[in-house]
Amino acid sequence: MEILSHDILIIGGGLAGLRAAIEAKKVCRDVAILSKVHPLRSHSVAAQGGINAVLGNAPAPIKDTWENHAFDTIKGSDYLADQDAVEVMCREGVERVIEMEHWGTLFSRTEDGKIAQRPFGGAGFPRAAYAADRTGHNLLHALYEQITGLQIPVYEEWYALSLVIEDGKCIGILAFHFFEGRIIPIRAKAVILATGGYGRIYLRSTNAVINTGSGCFLAYQAGVPLEDMEFIQFHPTSLFGTNILITEAARGEGGYLTNVNGERFMERYAPHLMELGPRDIVARGAQTEIDQGRGFEGEFVHLDLRHLGREKILDRLPGIRQIAMDFAGIDPILKPIPVQPAQHYSMGGIPTNVDGETPLLGLFAAGECACVSVHGANRLGGNSLLETLVFGARAGRKSAQTVETKKQSFNKIIFQDHLKAFQSELEEIFGRKKEEPCFSLRDEMRALMTFQVGIFRKESDFLSAREKIRELKKRLKRISPKQKGLAFNYELIQYLELSGMIHLAEVIVEGAVARKESRGSHFRVDFPNRNDEHWLRHTMAFKTAEGVKLDYKKVTITSYPPKERTY
Amino acid sequence: MKSSLLTLRIQRFHKEKDPQQWIETFQVETRKEMNLLEALLRIQDEQDGTLAFRFSCRGAVCGSCAMRVNGKDVLACRTHVEDLLKKPALIEPLPYFPVIRDLVVDMSTFFKHYRKIEPYLHGKHVSLETEYTLKEDERKEIDPYIQCILCGICFGSCPAFEKDSQFLGPAMLAKAYRFLADPRDRRNEEILKAMDDQRGMWGCKTVFNCVKVCPKEVPPTHAIIKMRGGILKYRIASLFSQFSSLFRNSS
Repeated sequence: MEILSHDILIIGGGLAGLRAAIEAKKVCRDVAILSKVHPLRSHSVAAQGGINAVLGNAPAPIKDTWENHAFDTIKGSDYLADQDAVEVMCREGVERVIEMEHWGTLFSRTEDGKIAQRPFGGAGFPRAAYAADRTGHNLLHALYEQITGLQIPVYEEWYALSLVIEDGKCIGILAFHFFEGRIIPIRAKAVILATGGYGRIYLRSTNAVINTGSGCFLAYQAGVPLEDMEFIQFHPTSLFGTNILITEAARGEGGYLTNVNGERFMERYAPHLMELGPRDIVARGAQTEIDQGRGFEGEFVHLDLRHLGREKILDRLPGIRQIAMDFAGIDPILKPIPVQPAQHYSMGGIPTNVDGETPLLGLFAAGECACVSVHGANRLGGNSLLETLVFGARAGRKSAQTVETKKQSFNKIIFQDHLKAFQSELEEIFGRKKEEPCFSLRDEMRALMTFQVGIFRKESDFLSAREKIRELKKRLKRISPKQKGLAFNYELIQYLELSGMIHLAEVIVEGAVARKESRGSHFRVDFPNRNDEHWLRHTMAFKTAEGVKLDYKKVTITSYPPKERTY
Repeated sequence: MKSSLLTLRIQRFHKEKDPQQWIETFQVETRKEMNLLEALLRIQDEQDGTLAFRFSCRGAVCGSCAMRVNGKDVLACRTHVEDLLKKPALIEPLPYFPVIRDLVVDMSTFFKHYRKIEPYLHGKHVSLETEYTLKEDERKEIDPYIQCILCGICFGSCPAFEKDSQFLGPAMLAKAYRFLADPRDRRNEEILKAMDDQRGMWGCKTVFNCVKVCPKEVPPTHAIIKMRGGILKYRIASLFSQFSSLFRNSS
């Protein structure tokens, strides 16, 4: 049995994974990344609008401070974020962004050549640094260039099948070389999960096709709880049809949201901030307009950029202009863009502290797959790119520190047993009679999540979703890949990922049905108010033989006791 | 929404089969607004789970789904099915690269060439607390070249590889210029000298194919021409300074 070995193994080659690798490499020589796609194809590349930091470069009568940023983030989270973690993120933001600039990121500039900043939703100050509207592309390429220079090896187009645990510690993974069809254990003193979100559980998502939450499922399978999974962010402006993201920056630059009557309807929902309210409020506003018949074709509203003028659009929003033209045949200089809310970000994930440590020794997590929690019940735009860098770096740093002193005891038997067990599972899967195609279950799961665990939620929808998911779990056993070899077996991967997604969907539904309040992006028409007395706490979901078991964790409050959240 | 039947003739390649290569015809129901990547995913889901191709963002920003469609190299996610309905469309893997399986090609040479140019900022000295100052016209000069998503389409259209497979390639020369034009990078002559040979800027045949096919409108040929101008200026300047110092020494 071949076994590979690294001190630090990072699963996921997006912003968080690459940033963690760079930081770990400063101290630890043996760092490797494993990714199911080439790192440059990670979903981070699609991020558009901006990354928040209190650079203080936007002209303003007062100075921006990290405390302001922290307050906006905490209020934006509907007071569910852990305030000590938010403080860390906002304090370290400037250093991380300047560092990215020093690594060559081509940020857009102010007149005097400093990094420019634009207004974003829910923020009291223009603090989103941006590279036109291709910020993710710029950041990811800059980080990939750095790991190229550092010669950090990447296992490209390999999958992580499971975590290997010994004595309550993560000691490595079972990896899958997709092109060669070989399952190979990789032992590691520290494993960092940086696998991104799970948007593809939903029918309408801005996420890449590859965002299936596999890392979250790996941790969940290994006994790690998942935190706050019921909090799903729906971005108000995805392009109608493909649900490709149209950045919040379009509104930051002055774009209007209008309904079929030509009204800027956000007046009704966030009279002060209007289109720049936090995402949950704008998404609910847009969806309400659509549900109440004031949308177009019963499906979308308009994002109108025409008044910004040709020059501004070409300068600040060229990427989304191209997207609108390529995927909707519309030039936003001339016509409004048809937009509808869609799943966008997963606030929940693997619980970590501010150093990326999870409840499982030897296992770290950073980026969208982690829940620190800095976003609580709703994330502000520009904070996700920030989170990847701040906590990616911290996870890299902490994991490198812990492996320095770690002596690796090498128990080959555990890996052998694990491999044998997985191969038996595969035999069982391949040996089944194929009675259902994978895609039917997948499409049913997506539809039920979008329509029953979406923007406006209620008990009856949850209960029927729960039943449906139970049924889907049973029907999983009727799927068998037609192709029996391992190499290039897309069907097998789809099956494994679907199985993971159905479990994550179950966790989301259980968390949602239990939480009898509305907070941030979790809005229940049957419990429309926030209930701090009973529900100012994080949901922790554990996998048990009987299904999902829920527990709760206190929210850390330092400076800002919860108040009413209006904009 | 009206649905139409799309016919795709796909070039397949499975190393273990005999024959290894064959063209397979698939038909799939499509909606008017569908794109080729969605059609391929449909085929993979419903008809043949062994059909191999790359995908990720589906929004034309990641560069995964480059392939040859009716003789043109494009991103599948941005190719409208509407344009392919008239007759069966031929789908082939991206040219230049060896085929691994079906539409999945081996891009290791591409990334080897990428690494050759040391594509990371060699930054000039700067204070840790503050960003480099960059003027808008400096940023605008770099901007077209930073749009490259490393999709590989330009390699497939470039005739220079026929003469020398070790030619660096359009994307890499454009990337070299991206750093040359960046005032924050200290390399300048170093980059010009590194690109100054037949495998670098002089291997280009200035046919502008790459400029025409780039899905992100990166103009590698323009970068190459600028670098040629740059190295010539540098050579003339150093020749001049040698000559003038010789002159000074002798008199």
